[in-house]
Amino acid sequence: MFKIILVKELREILGTTKFALTFGICSFLIILAFYVGANNYRTSQRQYETSIAENLHQMEGLTWWANIDHRLFLPPQPLASLVSGVSNDVGRTIRIKVYYNELIPRGTSFNENPIFAVFRFLDLEFIFAVVLSLFAILFGYDAINGEKERGTLRLAFSNSIPRDQYILGKLFGSYIALVVPLMIPILIGCLLLPILGVPMDANSWLRLGLIIVLGFLYIGVFLTLSVFVSAMTKRSASSFLMLIIVWIFAVLIIPRSAVLFAARASNVPSISEIDYEKGAGQKQINAERNEASLKWWKDTESLSKTNPEQFREVQREFFRQLTIKTEKKMGEMHARINENRENRALERQRMALSLARISPTASFSIAASELASTSLSLRTAYLASAKDYRPIFDEFLPSFQDERVDIPGGIDPTKLPVFQFEPPTTRAAIAASIPDFGLLILFNIVWFAGAFVAFLRYDVR
Amino acid sequence: MIGTLIEKELKSIIQSPKFAATFGVCAVLILLSLFIGIQEYRVSVAQYDAARELVNQQLGEVENPWMLGHQVFRRPDPMQIFVSGVTYDIGRSSNIARGTDIKIEQSPYSIDPVFAVFRYLDFAFIVHVVLSLLAIVFTYDSVNGERENGTLKLVLSNSVPRGHYLFSKLVGSWIGLTVPILLSILIGALLLLIYRVPMQTIEWIKLLALVGVSVLYYSFFITAGLFVSSLTRHSSDSFLILLILWVCLVLIVPRGATMAAEQLVSVPSIADLQSQKDRYVMEAGWEQQREVKKIMPWQKITSSMSSEESAEWWKVNRPRFTEIQDSLGEIRKANIAEFNRQLNEGRSNLQAEQERLAFRLSRFSPASTYKLVAMNLCGTNTSMKARYEEKMYQYREAFRIYQDAEIESWQKRWAEVRKAGGVFKNEPLDASGMPRFEPPVENVSQVFQASIFDFGLLSIYTILAFGGAFLAFVRYDVR
Repeated sequence: MFKIILVKELREILGTTKFALTFGICSFLIILAFYVGANNYRTSQRQYETSIAENLHQMEGLTWWANIDHRLFLPPQPLASLVSGVSNDVGRTIRIKVYYNELIPRGTSFNENPIFAVFRFLDLEFIFAVVLSLFAILFGYDAINGEKERGTLRLAFSNSIPRDQYILGKLFGSYIALVVPLMIPILIGCLLLPILGVPMDANSWLRLGLIIVLGFLYIGVFLTLSVFVSAMTKRSASSFLMLIIVWIFAVLIIPRSAVLFAARASNVPSISEIDYEKGAGQKQINAERNEASLKWWKDTESLSKTNPEQFREVQREFFRQLTIKTEKKMGEMHARINENRENRALERQRMALSLARISPTASFSIAASELASTSLSLRTAYLASAKDYRPIFDEFLPSFQDERVDIPGGIDPTKLPVFQFEPPTTRAAIAASIPDFGLLILFNIVWFAGAFVAFLRYDVR
Repeated sequence: MIGTLIEKELKSIIQSPKFAATFGVCAVLILLSLFIGIQEYRVSVAQYDAARELVNQQLGEVENPWMLGHQVFRRPDPMQIFVSGVTYDIGRSSNIARGTDIKIEQSPYSIDPVFAVFRYLDFAFIVHVVLSLLAIVFTYDSVNGERENGTLKLVLSNSVPRGHYLFSKLVGSWIGLTVPILLSILIGALLLLIYRVPMQTIEWIKLLALVGVSVLYYSFFITAGLFVSSLTRHSSDSFLILLILWVCLVLIVPRGATMAAEQLVSVPSIADLQSQKDRYVMEAGWEQQREVKKIMPWQKITSSMSSEESAEWWKVNRPRFTEIQDSLGEIRKANIAEFNRQLNEGRSNLQAEQERLAFRLSRFSPASTYKLVAMNLCGTNTSMKARYEEKMYQYREAFRIYQDAEIESWQKRWAEVRKAGGVFKNEPLDASGMPRFEPPVENVSQVFQASIFDFGLLSIYTILAFGGAFLAFVRYDVR
């Protein structure tokens, strides 16, 4: 019986204009998202490679390593074109100097091209989060009360059809009718990625696969919710109105306002406060350095007269140690202040995102961006990679002027150690997305059970 | 007759759950957006004041006029409460120092990316996305729904002109939606007064214009709803069509247009430009050294001298050497500035071309027309960065003149002390005479002039939709 109802439901949906229209639009959008995403990735990759080459090129001809202006670039992530996340809000360049400097990502994509910040991108995450969730409502809002209005529900139950099997058939039928046809444009899109030159390894495919599964779970939430509301109301106009309002809040309002409220409720020092603290620390460290060097000059005054040779030797060693000590102090001071802010910011982030997860859209977006390596951990990973690079760079160019000798014929910038960006591992990304998978499954179960129970009590007349 | 029809329409709307739901949603969302906007604005102002205070403090400790470089900041604007536009996407400050290019960096979103995850919730977003959807919900069944209920046949069996009937439908729905919105906005305006947001007359005028354009925007969706409802027999069909139309106009066309412009006009990245600039600075430095050696081949001359002779030669020739270095240095700096200007201009031109194309394409949708005009009215549009950059370049020039004068006076003081045989003691400079950065002020008439086109476009879209609705309804089979 279940099979008959399922097939009937499938036939009914697949034969409608509603299906043809939504399927057409979704197919077009999904293929477009994959195509444009792949193209954007290639452009970003080309820009990234040019930037690296130009960075080395501008150092050619220098005869002193100390004069180099080295930059570490954030490589584009293959899946960022499908789930942009915060990748356009994270700086893509970090300057690293021979003398100590703070590593700060600068130059965000949206700051460079504000036009994209106005309308943003039409990516896979947006299609699932906004368009497909709305279409899921469109498929389910009159699943039960629509049949009642048309009189077909009474007709169906004049036969000996168990209610549980009927509702199961309805739910699975609608879900299959919505999800299975979507596999076609998604598969075409997946084929486009390697064809258009996006380097997809096994891990990237696994991540993309999980994003799609996540998307289907997310659509399921809105579909089961729609059937539930449909089984709770008598008229399709009422269920539609209720669902549209729920959709507005779930998709558009809750994620935004939750983050804004929760984030402002916590006390994270502003960047100006941090700068102030750093400025004070810097002043103190410089004063200590000046004091130490003045004292040294006083102490070695006699030596400079009696044994100038030995004096130069001692002087070099003293200032070498002093520079190392000062830079270490500066690094520690910055790290302490930054760590304090980062810990508080992390706390705020946890609170804000947890609150936003009341909405399944937030769960979906957070998990999808984790899987695509475009979540908030992108910035953390970029900074961590730059910090890991610092000792390698320092070892190559020790931070003391005597060792930065003039090289006849110019330096060879290609000898500089290559910066390797380490994005969060697939295992870590999957682990970070598990709670959201769990939440979406839970939402599905709750609404499914709700629809089931509501229909068992539904007045079919 | 028309009065009776409107009254009937209004009564039926007010009694419907649609009205109660819309009223509730509008009130909650508009007030929420304004409350969030005010809070965010206050936070921005506090951060701006703290940053400026820090800069002033740092300037007060500077002892050497060469070290007078400092940061200037973008000032928060009360209008960002209503339309945040690109406020949080573009940098908040730039360094002002000798020989450094203006670069607005450190956008609020890049400093605190948690806010970038779901982005912002402002009044314009509520109107742009939510009210347009509610407008459709209001009118998708206004004609065919009456036909389905059988009331359309009944009404038109009396001597009711079809034009009057349709007009009353439009006015009824319009009032039904506008009243809750305007009431919510009025309460929101009270919030502005309670929180003492510094709104000057011009800001109130801009807010009024924004409300006007918002009303025009959702009026389009009301008329579009009437049009589609008059074209279809069943409300389920009109709902489907309208929802798809809404998805296309509000969500897809604006994004699609930007993406198309991105594919058609490519703009080089800032990182590329920076590397080219660095390369040029280096090459210009070498060129200067070559020129110096050409005019005064000191290396050739001193290479065959003993160290005493060389020292003696330098003693005599150093003033001339410094003079050559200085004059060539000035030319080099001017060349670098010109090269940077050309590169920046080239990129800006390409960016402007890309932007023009994207905006032209996106204006096919009333939703993007609304978004563009709203950002323009509130000064949070894409040109905000360029406006600040221009002003910062002007300020840098004024600052350079001030710094040159300070350096000259410092050198004079230093020379006097040395001449008198004393030891020059560094003391904090008096930076009270330093020019202060004043944020750009938009010319109001220009703002309104730039908005007229989009205002006109929205009016045309609305008139066309109503014209379509009228034609469709005149031919509508009421049975």
